[in-house]
Amino acid sequence: MKKFLTILICKLLRFLGKLIGKGSSKPGQVALKLCPDILSRMQLPQYIIAVTGSNGKTSTVEMIAHILQKNGKKVAWNREGSNQIEGVTTLVLAGSTLGGKVKADILLIESDERFARYTFKYIKPTHYVITNLYRDQLTRNGHPEWVYDALADSITDGTQLILNADDPLVSSFGEGRDNVVWFGANRLSTDTDTLESVYNDGAYCPICKAPMIYSAYHYNHIGHYRCDNCGFYRRNTKYTLTSFDMDRGEMTIDNRHTIHLALKSLYNIYNILAAYTVASIVGVNGAEIAADMNDYVLKNGRVITFTLGSRKGTMLTSKHENSISYDQSIRVASACKEGCDVMFIVDAVSRKYFTSDVSWLYDIDFEMLNNPNIHEIILAGKYVNDLAVRFSYTDIPNSKIKLFESIDEAADYLNSDRKEYLYVITCFSDKGKFLVKVKEEQ
Amino acid sequence: MKILHLYHDIMNLYGDYANVSAMKRVLEKSGEEVTVDKLSLADTAVLADYDFIYIGSGTERNMHYVLEDFKKYADDFKACVDSGKVILLTGNSFEMLGKTITDAQGNVYDGLGLFDFTVTEQNKTRMTADAVEACDFLTRPLVGFINKCSEIKGVKNPLFTVTMGLGNHDGDKNEGARLNNLFCTHLTGPVLIKNPHFLTCLAEKLLGRAPESDWLTHERAGYEITLRELRKRSQSH
Repeated sequence: MKKFLTILICKLLRFLGKLIGKGSSKPGQVALKLCPDILSRMQLPQYIIAVTGSNGKTSTVEMIAHILQKNGKKVAWNREGSNQIEGVTTLVLAGSTLGGKVKADILLIESDERFARYTFKYIKPTHYVITNLYRDQLTRNGHPEWVYDALADSITDGTQLILNADDPLVSSFGEGRDNVVWFGANRLSTDTDTLESVYNDGAYCPICKAPMIYSAYHYNHIGHYRCDNCGFYRRNTKYTLTSFDMDRGEMTIDNRHTIHLALKSLYNIYNILAAYTVASIVGVNGAEIAADMNDYVLKNGRVITFTLGSRKGTMLTSKHENSISYDQSIRVASACKEGCDVMFIVDAVSRKYFTSDVSWLYDIDFEMLNNPNIHEIILAGKYVNDLAVRFSYTDIPNSKIKLFESIDEAADYLNSDRKEYLYVITCFSDKGKFLVKVKEEQ
Repeated sequence: MKILHLYHDIMNLYGDYANVSAMKRVLEKSGEEVTVDKLSLADTAVLADYDFIYIGSGTERNMHYVLEDFKKYADDFKACVDSGKVILLTGNSFEMLGKTITDAQGNVYDGLGLFDFTVTEQNKTRMTADAVEACDFLTRPLVGFINKCSEIKGVKNPLFTVTMGLGNHDGDKNEGARLNNLFCTHLTGPVLIKNPHFLTCLAEKLLGRAPESDWLTHERAGYEITLRELRKRSQSH
C-alpha cells in the first residue's frame, strides 16, 4: 500500500510539475521521504545501464537512448539530466505501473559521479559506463582521486563495468575485476608523442605513483600509457576507434563502421564510442548503430549554431571549472582553417551555486589559440579582468584581444561586417546572456 | 634570482603553477634576471641555492607520497626557514611540515616537525569554500578558495584570520601558518595572481626594495571585483 501510494503521489507531482514547467527532482524527493527504500521495491527491467564520469554523461546517454529507440527498444531515461538520486527516483517511478513495474526494456540512468553511491545502493546497474575523470568543478568535487573513491563505493559485484581504457584513472577501476569491457582509441593520425596540456594528470601511475610512460597522447592525458613499476597498462579494447579523419569529419569503429560527424571533436567521438559500446552489448549490430549516429546532432543544447547580423557562428557550450572541456572547444576553433574569431564569456562561474573562483582558467591551454587560424579573441563578462590576466600568461599578441565587461556590448561589437566565422565558448551559466543577441538556427 | 618550483608535476592542482609565473614576472618587471627550476620526485635540489621556493597542493595520496621524498630535505628546509628565505606553500602542501598526518584509514605519517600541529584527514565530506582572509602585514585582505578534507590542530602562529571561508579546523578563526618568511596557506590555485598585493609583498622581501607594480592593472581590477562579490555574498548569508 505504501509503495502504491508513493508511486501514485510521485506520478501526480510529476504530472503537475510538467504543467507548470518544474524540474524533475522534487517528485522523487517527496517519494524518498515517504518511502526511503522505494527504489529497491520496484520491478526493474533486464537492462539497467548507468553512465557516469566528469564529462559527456548527458550526451552519451542521449545517444544511447537515440540508438536503442531507433532499434525498437523502449527506454526509460533521465533526459533532463536530473542525475542525483531524487531525479533518478522520479524517472523510475513516473515510468512504472502503479504496481511498481518499470514500463521499459531498458532503464538508462545518467548518474552524478558524487552521488552514485547513494543511487546504486537501491538500484544495481547491470552495466556501468565510466567515461572519464577530469579536473571538474573543484568547488564541489575536490579533485579526480576524491571522485574516484566516491565512485568506487558505488560499484557492486555482478555489474559489468564499461570503461574508457585511455583514461588511466578510469581504467584502473577494472584492475582485479572480471567482467570488464574496455573501449578506446587506437593510435590516431591526430595523436602526439608529447603531452599537449597545461598540466599532466597522467604523470604518475594511479596505482603505485611511479612515473608513467606514454607511447601516444590522444588529447591531454588521455592516451596509451604504462607503468613499468607495478605493471599497470592501457588495456586492449573490445570496441575501438580505429581511425579519425579530422578534415573529412569521419570516425571509424572496429575498422568497419564509418560515421560522419556533426561535431568534429575527439571529445564527441569518445561519447559516440561509449554509446556504440553500450548499444552493441545490448545487441544492436554495428552497421545499424553507425547509420543511427551518422551526422547525429545532439539535442541537449551543447552545440548551437547562430547568426549575428551577417555573421555565422557556433556556440560550444563548455563547462566552467573544467579545463578539458574548454581545451576541446579551443581545439575545434583552432582547427578552423578558414580563420575565425573566438569569444570567451565568464560572467557567473556556476548557475547552481556561488563561487568567485577562477583558478581553473590556469588549467586551460589557451596557448593553442596562438595560431594564424585565430584572428580576434573577445573576452567578456564580470570576470573579464581575470580572463585578461590569464591571456597575459600566453604568447598571444595583445593586439588580437578585445575586452568587454558587458556581454551586450561585446555582442554589439561582434555584429560587424567582419567575415570571420565566430566561435563562442562559454558555460550553461552564461550562454543565455549571449544567445539573446543572436538568431539561433533550428 | 633563482626560483624553485618543487614537486611541480605532482603537487599542482588547479593552476598552482601560476604562482611561480607571477613571481617570475614581478621580479623581471623589477629588472631582475630570473631562472625557474621545476624539480620533482626524481631530483635532488640544493634548497640553499634559491631565492624563492614554492610548493603547491595535491591530492591526498600524492601528498603522502611526496612527503616520504620531502623528508630528505628536512634539515635543509629548516635551515632555509631559519635564514629567512622567502618560501610559499599553498593548499595541503604545508600539512607536511607538522608533527603527524593521519589519513582517512587511520594510517599515521610523520611530518617534518617544523611545526607542532597535527593533521587529520577524512574521506566523507569535501570542505570547499570561497575565502576572504586578513592579516597584519597586508592592508587589504586576501581572496581565494579552499578545497580540503583535513583538520589541522595546534597551529601556534597562524598566517591569516578568516573573515569568510574555513579555518585550520572546524570552528577555528585562523588559517595557515607562518614562521619567519615561510608563508603557509590552505588557499589553492594562483593565490599570488588573485592577490597582487600579496605578490608585491613577497617580492619586496626578496628584492629588499619595492618591486615594479604599475603593470598590475587587470590583476587589481579582478581582485576588487572578486572581493566585492565575496563580500556581497557573505552579507547576504
